[in-house]
Amino acid sequence: MRTPLFEEHVRLGARMVDFHGWELPVWYTSITKEHMATRTSCGLFDISHMGEIYVKGEGAQDFLEKALTIKVSSMERFQVRYAFMLNSNGGIIDDLTVYCLEPGLHYMLCVNASNTPKDYEWLSSIPGADGLLDNRSDDTAMLAVQGPNARFYLEKCLGFDINSIAYYRFTFHSADLTGNTELLISRTGYTGADGVEIFMDTRLCKALWNMLIDSGAIPCGLGARDTLRLEMGYPLHGNDIDEGTTPIEAGLSFAVDMDSHQFIGRETLLRQRQNGVSRRLRGLVLDDRGIPRQGYVCMKEGRDIGKVTSGSISPVLNRGIALAYIDSSINYSEIVSVMIRSKPLKATVIKPPFVKGQIHK
Amino acid sequence: MKFPEDLKYTKDHEWGRPDGNRLIAGITDYAQDELGDIVYIELNDKGSSIKQGEVFGTVESVKAVSELYAPASGTIVEINEALLEAPEIINKDPYGDGWMIVIEMEDRAELNNLMDSQEYRTYVEKEAK
Repeated sequence: MRTPLFEEHVRLGARMVDFHGWELPVWYTSITKEHMATRTSCGLFDISHMGEIYVKGEGAQDFLEKALTIKVSSMERFQVRYAFMLNSNGGIIDDLTVYCLEPGLHYMLCVNASNTPKDYEWLSSIPGADGLLDNRSDDTAMLAVQGPNARFYLEKCLGFDINSIAYYRFTFHSADLTGNTELLISRTGYTGADGVEIFMDTRLCKALWNMLIDSGAIPCGLGARDTLRLEMGYPLHGNDIDEGTTPIEAGLSFAVDMDSHQFIGRETLLRQRQNGVSRRLRGLVLDDRGIPRQGYVCMKEGRDIGKVTSGSISPVLNRGIALAYIDSSINYSEIVSVMIRSKPLKATVIKPPFVKGQIHK
Repeated sequence: MKFPEDLKYTKDHEWGRPDGNRLIAGITDYAQDELGDIVYIELNDKGSSIKQGEVFGTVESVKAVSELYAPASGTIVEINEALLEAPEIINKDPYGDGWMIVIEMEDRAELNNLMDSQEYRTYVEKEAK
């Protein structure tokens, strides 16, 4: 599968990779350069592969309260919230953002690309789904404009004032592009930088992409998207969270409104909250030189205490960093070992983020 | 993409530059380009012996881990210590400052197992397709 910007990526000389069936740029010039451009100026990401599932109609709110871990009924118009879709064992089917278009009646779910068909199928199987769901992933494009200078490029290209929306809020904005020009702009992102994500009709995407690049935004690939999110400790579904892990184990309870409503998977989470869990997702910063990678084993005093689920070098810290599920008896600031090619390398257990975010809340 | 004429090449994208009984070795322009930003390198110890085709170290980019295979058998008589602190040199100058080790060769005839510049270029063009 290809996004509407495939030809633009090729024209820019991007290195393309297969990402769950999508042909996407992994880098244009260099992951490190693109990473630093987002931290210091403005990165531009084609994330049109993301899925958009609309939930609309009488009963939309009740339906979503069953399907999602957050109290959807407390959301205001133009609010965004991060949430999970859990299976009946509390395992994470997907993590997503919920956009409240019309309280009670109309919502958009932005879901992970590779999970879109699975999510749609799961949602359809929940009682009350009839007539509510509309998967518009194919005709929705999405760009992320991220970095301290994003505000200037948005002003210049779209006449859009970033401060007209607060963190995790969105708005509609009309732009003088071609055809139907309504953009949905949200103050959200997956990088820890200030900026927005823009949803639009696929036909508008190319014009906006080129306009932002011409004004100075730096196109960034999936490689930088991954190192940026890892520096913030944001989980990646399929690596750090999946149907075999729960939000409690992953330390993501902030996106679970456990006490205020019923939802699928809640019993397991209540039990885990009461009895505790045996492992937790933690951050590791390497004290020795080396780069932790997915699957590497973590040890403490000769004992296997867990496994790395995401690892890389942090371009900002110039050190190896990782997310790892670790025995919950291990505390923050303890020193553990990561086994890298049979050698134990020292790492400190921390609570992410690894790098301070720049989000203006 | 550069393929210097005076070098010998392995199928795993290392190069060797013969200098008497010594062979200077590194990775090719193609290899560094495929890996992207190189951020880490580990090399076997100076003084250790190695066989042709055996691993003499590991190089890592942001995305990938790649082992390094010796283009010839012998003793590693020098390693490029500068790379340990600044592995990005390999991206900038893979055939020059980005050299990795010097091998005192056991048997110079082993170089006949390697590709010349023209053969390697053809090999890479096939692999790229």
